[in-house]
Amino acid sequence: MDAAEKLLIAFFVLSAFVALVFFVVARSTLLTVQPQAEASRFGYAIHGRWFAFLLLGLLGTFLASLPFFPYMRTAAALQPALRVPVEAWQFLFIMPDQFPVNQRIIFEVKTPDVTHGFGIYAPDGQLIAQTQAMPDYVNYLDVTFQKPGRYFVRCLEFCGMGHPIMQKEITVGEAGAGSGLPSLAAIGSNGVVTHE
Amino acid sequence: MNDLLTDKAAPGRGVMKLYLVSGLAVVGLLLLAGLAMRASQAGWLPLPPDGFYSLLTLHGAGMIVAMMVCAMGAIWFLTRQQVNMSAKLAVAAWALIMVGVVGVLVATLVGRYGSLYTFLYPMPFRGTWPNWSTGVFLIGLVFVNAGWMIWCCQMLSGVLRAHGGYRGAIGWDYVWHSKSFVASGRHPPPPESFPAFMVGLDGLIAGMAATLLGVALVVHWIDPEVQIDPLWAKNLTYFWAHTVANLIIYMLAGVIYVALPFATRREYHVSKVFVVAWWTSMTLTLTNYFHHLYMDFAQPEILQYIGQLSSYLSALPVTVVTVFGALMLVWRSGMRWTLGALFFYLGMLGWVVGGIGAEIDASVPFNVHLHNTLWVPAHFHTYLLGGCLLFVLGWVFLLLESRAASATRKSMTWLISILMFGGMLVFLLSFYVSGAYGVPRRYSIEPAPGPVLAQIATLGAAVMIVGMLLAGIEAWRLWRSKAGLPAGTKEAIHG
Repeated sequence: MDAAEKLLIAFFVLSAFVALVFFVVARSTLLTVQPQAEASRFGYAIHGRWFAFLLLGLLGTFLASLPFFPYMRTAAALQPALRVPVEAWQFLFIMPDQFPVNQRIIFEVKTPDVTHGFGIYAPDGQLIAQTQAMPDYVNYLDVTFQKPGRYFVRCLEFCGMGHPIMQKEITVGEAGAGSGLPSLAAIGSNGVVTHE
Repeated sequence: MNDLLTDKAAPGRGVMKLYLVSGLAVVGLLLLAGLAMRASQAGWLPLPPDGFYSLLTLHGAGMIVAMMVCAMGAIWFLTRQQVNMSAKLAVAAWALIMVGVVGVLVATLVGRYGSLYTFLYPMPFRGTWPNWSTGVFLIGLVFVNAGWMIWCCQMLSGVLRAHGGYRGAIGWDYVWHSKSFVASGRHPPPPESFPAFMVGLDGLIAGMAATLLGVALVVHWIDPEVQIDPLWAKNLTYFWAHTVANLIIYMLAGVIYVALPFATRREYHVSKVFVVAWWTSMTLTLTNYFHHLYMDFAQPEILQYIGQLSSYLSALPVTVVTVFGALMLVWRSGMRWTLGALFFYLGMLGWVVGGIGAEIDASVPFNVHLHNTLWVPAHFHTYLLGGCLLFVLGWVFLLLESRAASATRKSMTWLISILMFGGMLVFLLSFYVSGAYGVPRRYSIEPAPGPVLAQIATLGAAVMIVGMLLAGIEAWRLWRSKAGLPAGTKEAIHG
């Protein structure tokens, strides 16, 4: 099961639960009418528990999600990585088109014109990483390609009439002698190689 | 308050009708624009890119404004029952908004302006459309914002006058000194006053941000040498747009507090939890917008954490108080399922389901995979189309049903429901599936599997619009059949 299917299932399960509750409450209108005070008694009995369950669930989810935030810490930025400058223009990406698999890459995403998106799609069509390209700013995107193959970079922020055609095909393969792809083994003493 | 629906002489009815009719007329036209865009993405309707994006700009900006106008009319009317407010001022605010709407129509349909309703700087000035259309669009939005702020001032002033200033309006003493408060014979404001207060206050704050941004953009339009920080502009854009979109829902929550008690013949009680929940919403609505900038890694990181936490916590007041309380009202109430009641009930379902989609998208690790994919329009269409529009239609139908001589036939109720909700479900599902599979939003030509799903969505949207047309015809019939006999009309509804 891929990530998209898992996401959809999670959404459908939660939505189906809500729809079921609504259905049960709607069906109850066919039963004998209860005075409001009596009908509310059951509601108030579960009200506090529902609040506590939801609050703890949301806070727990928030805490559990923190390690997966994509923002790069200073310490992580100093770790060895292939630094790749990317320039997004209306309507093309100026960047290399070959990358090594299983090596840490930091994309330095800039734009001289308007705001663009920089989204990387894996060979199976999944959107695996993205950031924005904004004038006057550099966005650093930390990516390690896990599988070799043909990837696509697509613009994910509206940038004009050519927005849907703003994409670039890139290849991810094994690094090493004869491949033309840089390897981390070749990284200098500053811990950084710039892939021009 | 329950007599309000049947009371022909209730003050402010004319203002409400003006807002509702004009808002719904724009919504109707823009539904067709939305259908055309989905048909174009499906490959069934050839739209050139400039036509597609000017239509998308019109659809986005227009729908937000039209839904806002509908909600403003309804909550203004409810507040008017508690305190005298100038109808002339409300009409003047409406007129300013309509001038802005005409500006947006001219800029997009004549000038082919197509920088979308988000108009992220510097995109409005770097397009293929003529420079004048950028100016007309921006000035149009300035007019909309001016009308909005005047209206917010009027609402805030009205609620404060009705409930003894800020302290009374927010129920401060009721929460913190409840014993002496109750002992002195005082009552907290009615439930619909809290969203009215919130929209007045938060709406003004959002309006001020929009004014700041609008002035900066218009100055840049006049003198391109004047530069703007794009990240600053983006923050203000989403602060305004997100807050207003949220306030539309909250204004209509105020309508739920009146409509459902009418439909169920029960009372919606204000409690301390209820009041605190509204304080929470008032605050969190102003900080949620950060989730629109998760993928701007240049944004100060702390704001991303605040954005997620705030987005999560804002689910509590909705689910624990408003929707929970509404379900308690309906539970074993014997409510008759008229179209008005049905629209309100399913609107709440759409609100919660859209909220689930929104909470998933508001989680940073998921946002990496969903940001600016069709998941985003999926969730906001769920709570704007499947929530807010249903609340507005529900309110209109309850008003009509309460005074009609004959009720809607059961077969007609079923037919409208199946077409509207069946079509809506198909339309929305295709958005969600497309988004989960990474199909980008705002693409006039989508990569696979976008086009196939757009075909399914187009069919769903067409069926839904047929259902809405039937609902419109039924609304017309109810309006024509009004008996003008308020006495006994409740019985006609409740059977």
